[in-house]
Amino acid sequence: MGNMFEGLGMYPDEKMPERPLECGECKKHIAFQYTEMVGSAVVQNCMCSECPVLARKLYGDRPNEPGEGISLEGSTELMCGNCGTTLEAVRVGSALGCSVCYEVFEDILLSELASMGKIPTRLVMTKKSQLLHQGRVRGEAVEISPSMRLLALNEALSEMLKVEDYEQAARLRDQIKTLTDQQEQQEDLRKEEL
Amino acid sequence: MNNNDGKDIPSRAVACLKSPWNDCHNTIWLASALRLHRNIEKFKFPSKLDAERKKQIIALVGTEYLKQSSTSPLMLKAEDLSFLDREYLVEHFLLIESFNQMGIGNAFVIDDTGESLTLFNSEDHIAFIKVSTQPEFDVSWSELIKEEVQLGKKFNFAFSSRFGFLTSDLSNCGTAFGASAYLQLPALIHTEKINTLLETELEDNVMVTGIQGNPSEVVGDILVVQNNYTLGVTEENICSAVRSFATRLQNEETSLRQSMKTSPNPLLMDRVSRAFAVLCHSYQIEAVEALNAFSLLKLGLDMGWVQGCSVAELNRLFFNCRRAHLLYQFEGKTLQEEIPHKRAEFIHKALKKVSLLI
Repeated sequence: MGNMFEGLGMYPDEKMPERPLECGECKKHIAFQYTEMVGSAVVQNCMCSECPVLARKLYGDRPNEPGEGISLEGSTELMCGNCGTTLEAVRVGSALGCSVCYEVFEDILLSELASMGKIPTRLVMTKKSQLLHQGRVRGEAVEISPSMRLLALNEALSEMLKVEDYEQAARLRDQIKTLTDQQEQQEDLRKEEL
Repeated sequence: MNNNDGKDIPSRAVACLKSPWNDCHNTIWLASALRLHRNIEKFKFPSKLDAERKKQIIALVGTEYLKQSSTSPLMLKAEDLSFLDREYLVEHFLLIESFNQMGIGNAFVIDDTGESLTLFNSEDHIAFIKVSTQPEFDVSWSELIKEEVQLGKKFNFAFSSRFGFLTSDLSNCGTAFGASAYLQLPALIHTEKINTLLETELEDNVMVTGIQGNPSEVVGDILVVQNNYTLGVTEENICSAVRSFATRLQNEETSLRQSMKTSPNPLLMDRVSRAFAVLCHSYQIEAVEALNAFSLLKLGLDMGWVQGCSVAELNRLFFNCRRAHLLYQFEGKTLQEEIPHKRAEFIHKALKKVSLLI
């Protein structure tokens, strides 16, 4: 992460770090920086390596020449028939328009997620048939079981005691007690029912 | 606050929102927040819907949601809320997005707990948000899932077996679930020990950012630890990764404070003294400067360098000094250019009994 907090202080005139450099179009990490004359103004631009906007500026809409480095595949007008979202829009990080977009753009979504760093690296090279989702499915009522919660609370309690944070430890103890009492009551009720 | 007919009631509802921050005694782990996004299968996502369609979703889904809720929910339409009300909601729920662009077809649901906000047609059709002052996620998670499952019985959520729950922002698909821990770490930040910690300990599955969503701008020494992935991980993995890293940071901050009690750090003592001076003697003060100084004052209180107030009072001040909260206290009658002065006056009054012991 680098020294992201360097130079931070309580006074507004103190040096504040700049935002991490990101593509002006796609919000991905930049690969190129260039200066452009727009009318009489000089504009500094930062763009990522896959930015279709940069590709269009450099090469227009002509097909990509071998060895040019930037793919122009994005300029082919692949579009979601349901909502009109284009491939280029997806590549510059615009919002997807509907569920069908996930089917239409399926082939590039994984690489988009990988370039944003938003998917675990172990999943980047998965086959198309392989499922990526590992969480709940529709309608599944997964609640954290009380015993799992007790385990987590006890773990946190011993951590707090280790660092002598007795205030937090007392609060955790209260939570453990409430949860244990609830479990005991439920157990009693179950026994009574039997 | 708002003279327009019909706009007064929503504004009052927002102003009456029960604040979990009024009784928050947390020194380091200030708050926890969860967020769950869902879209209704048959509809395009909100960015592709016109106002009429959005209204239809609110009529269908919003009404059902209100019917199912057990916590006296109240639906507020975006067009009935002033910009100040929206900013108040952003501050109250520790959000990073702005609601300024919301208009006809957008709605918010708040309830009497003051810890729950449900957005309709913002980025996705529904965004369930829970915020709490407890340093854990389990209770909020159970509540969130209960609401989602109930609503899911009536409406099919957009879902694919490969990408999980489908969201308009690709980086939210999968679980469409986010967990955040808000940690106030003045000792680690001002001694710059945080840099080493983040360089060596931060794993790929969590990320750290500032309270305004910018990782390089830390306000009030608050770091937000949140999950980096929503796809390819389970909801339990997400909670446990965030909890584990947040606990690690909390412990490091506590240990550092303990060690400073035996060997005081002159740099930090100086910063706390300056923070005290800025808060008690400035004629006008901007929000960021005030929040940064409050964090140091809170550290001073914990270290025994400051007396005359409690952690809960400082936490309350921390929230009440942000722009919308402050303006609400003056019933919106303060001019924009007067705010820094009004803030300074407000702080002087609140810290009247506070004194420096170093």
